[in-house]
Amino acid sequence: MKATAVSSAAISNALRYQQAKMQADLIKATKESQTGTVADVGLALGSRTTQAVTFQRDLDRLNGIVDSNALVTARLTSTQDSLGQIAGAAQSFLSALTSGVSGDSSTSILQTAGASALQQMTGILNTSVNGEYLFAGTNTDVKPIDDFNAAGSPAKAAFDAAFSSYFGFAQTDPAAANITGAQMDDFITTKVEPQFLGAGWQANWSSATDDQITSRISLNETTQTSVSANEQGIRKLAMAAAMVSSLLTGSISEAAQNAVVSRAQTLVGDAIGGVTQVRAETGLAQQRVSDASDRMKTQVDLFEKHIIDLEGVDPAEAATRVADLTQHIETSFALTARLQQLSLLNYLT
Amino acid sequence: MSLSSALSIAQSALLATSKQTSVVSRNVADASNPDYTRRIAVVTSTAPGARSVEIQRTANDLLFRQNLSALSAWSGQSALYNGMDQLDLSVNGVDNASSPSTAIANLQKALQLYATTPSNQNLGTSVIDAAKQVVNSLNSGTKAIQDFRTQADSQIATAVDDLNSLLGQFQDANTAVISGTRSGTDVSDALDQRDALLKKISEYVPVSTFTRGDNDMVITTKDGSTLFETVPRSVTFAPSAGYSAGTPGNTVYIDNVPVSAGTGDNATADGKLAGLLKLRDGVASTMQSQLDEIARGLVTAFAETAPSQPNAAGLFTWSGAPAIPAAGTLVDGLAGSIGVNAAFDPSASGNPALLRDGGANGAAYVVNTGGASYSDLLISYGNKLDQPMAFDTSAGITVSSGVSDYAANAIGWFEGVRQQASTNADSKQALAARTAEALSNDTGVNVDQEMSLLLDLEHTYQASAHMMKTVSDMLDALMSAVG
Repeated sequence: MKATAVSSAAISNALRYQQAKMQADLIKATKESQTGTVADVGLALGSRTTQAVTFQRDLDRLNGIVDSNALVTARLTSTQDSLGQIAGAAQSFLSALTSGVSGDSSTSILQTAGASALQQMTGILNTSVNGEYLFAGTNTDVKPIDDFNAAGSPAKAAFDAAFSSYFGFAQTDPAAANITGAQMDDFITTKVEPQFLGAGWQANWSSATDDQITSRISLNETTQTSVSANEQGIRKLAMAAAMVSSLLTGSISEAAQNAVVSRAQTLVGDAIGGVTQVRAETGLAQQRVSDASDRMKTQVDLFEKHIIDLEGVDPAEAATRVADLTQHIETSFALTARLQQLSLLNYLT
Repeated sequence: MSLSSALSIAQSALLATSKQTSVVSRNVADASNPDYTRRIAVVTSTAPGARSVEIQRTANDLLFRQNLSALSAWSGQSALYNGMDQLDLSVNGVDNASSPSTAIANLQKALQLYATTPSNQNLGTSVIDAAKQVVNSLNSGTKAIQDFRTQADSQIATAVDDLNSLLGQFQDANTAVISGTRSGTDVSDALDQRDALLKKISEYVPVSTFTRGDNDMVITTKDGSTLFETVPRSVTFAPSAGYSAGTPGNTVYIDNVPVSAGTGDNATADGKLAGLLKLRDGVASTMQSQLDEIARGLVTAFAETAPSQPNAAGLFTWSGAPAIPAAGTLVDGLAGSIGVNAAFDPSASGNPALLRDGGANGAAYVVNTGGASYSDLLISYGNKLDQPMAFDTSAGITVSSGVSDYAANAIGWFEGVRQQASTNADSKQALAARTAEALSNDTGVNVDQEMSLLLDLEHTYQASAHMMKTVSDMLDALMSAVG
């Protein structure tokens, strides 16, 4: 026969169990209100932890690509800048040629203009950023353009050899005064052109590759982010400048010189068009990179929001929970103390 | 009726009361013993006026059985959950910091940086370093899992020893109950002891019991194999000295019947033995398979390819190199043997630029003939980490994905099981606490009640004593009248 259905052990055990549970909860709630995220992501999300892990990983990767895009942008900006300078050099070379044709300037001025255009161009094409030659294609650890005016230049040697093999004498030879315009034209077409627009370019002038640097600019987008010195516009400019600087020596007949100058004019005109084309392409690439970066920054924001949605806890709610639990535990302590006093023994004298 | 009969009735009342008092005092003494069942002194009248006191236990079989089954579920569940917590920390680290997924994400980042500036050798070296971190994560994960399995194995061995010793003690208690019951003495203490042992046994294996004549108890497991019948049946287990990936563990035999880890998912276990078996052969083994698949995926993704040449192991190499492990087939222990190819490793006089140019397996595999800023191969490695590939379905993940997503899915799979186990453990703990409380309420001692009972007994005793004194006075009066 049992009057009550409660045992003394059960009373104290129940209190103890509740207290232990609340204290464990309190530790979790404290951590959550401090960090703003759930105490144990794995336990809170279960299988959905994959999402949290993937978001976090993609977030890191996106930030990494945004950073590496800054490098790419630096390269493209320098490229664009350099191309602008090349276009400028070509433009002033063209005006020098134009005034030469109208007879306003002497051949020596034209020759100087050619030489300086070539020098400028070579200097610009050999620019390096971060230890990489800008216009080298993928072969960025080798200087892309041979210096035509330096001693022992293979390009210069090849040019001179082509001249003497065609005409039988050097440019400075007095016999050069007999070269006709038609002969010079033929020489340029058959001998000079292959050296610049054909296979001779890679052999003597350029160590750049036709392949350009490919860069990943977003999680699944790659683009070419460099310009090679092997672009047609650059070759034509080099050809015009090299011709003018090494053929207008003063010994060559005026007719031949005119042929050179008019040929050079056409080439430089083409070159300006070609360089502008390349500048436009570079501009597009710049645009793509900056678009991709902007897009990724938006994605980063979104991903951060998703991660907070997944792992975050409302700090106000967590703080309230801490306060509630503290109060409950205090109540529970007070109750324990009271219950300990609540014994018949205290009333039996 | 005579005065002498009144005297003898008062005497027997005193006797009964003192016996009842001794029961009350015993109850109070054991009030906080969870295995103690409250005794009741039942007073029955035999002949007119004569009373005998019989001691009864307030056992409640139904609640006791519920408590037993809740205990074994809780014990199994908490063994499972604690083990998973330990695995989580030792394989994935705090907040997954040392997980293969994190290491692969870092490798991808390093690869991206290197692909942006392929001419920079330092970035190439940092890719190799990131690859070493991946290898380290996989190797140490494998070691942690196999250590864990070995540890679980020795825990199983300890549990089996404990179980055998408990069954031995159970035999003593059972014998005491039987002989006491036969001789008609009070067997309450022996019954208490037997029930306490049964509680302990049920923490290891889920049990069901039935009682035969003379209170003889037979224990079987839930599966039906006999644990105890007159004599304890032997529980046998041969522990293994060490584990490697893919090695199956030895089975526990109860009465020569193998113990199953239980049906159901990876997150449910009934009894500590089943929980440990499930950890050793289920969760830990699957985790190992997933690490092996991640390792296989990495070797495959970074393989060097060349026209009319077999694919050959590139940045990541393994025991079967230069061949590539067969597609879609689990290779046990690959995560433990995967390494960074020495041909790439600057600290082993290798060349990190081979990653950019190809050719670690000979000139036929050279891809880059252009120059120092060739990034196509690096970008293609990055892509391959994301390209879906075939994974062995026996590793528990069926979603088609790239290696890096597979690694993330592995974390998801594990956390899913862990969450389930945690929920189960919480609910089983609550159930165990609740049934224990119900059982204690029904069969335990309430000190206040015993005290009030003591007051009653005190009154009875006083009354009986007074009665005797009165009879004695009356007899005295009679004597003096006669004398």
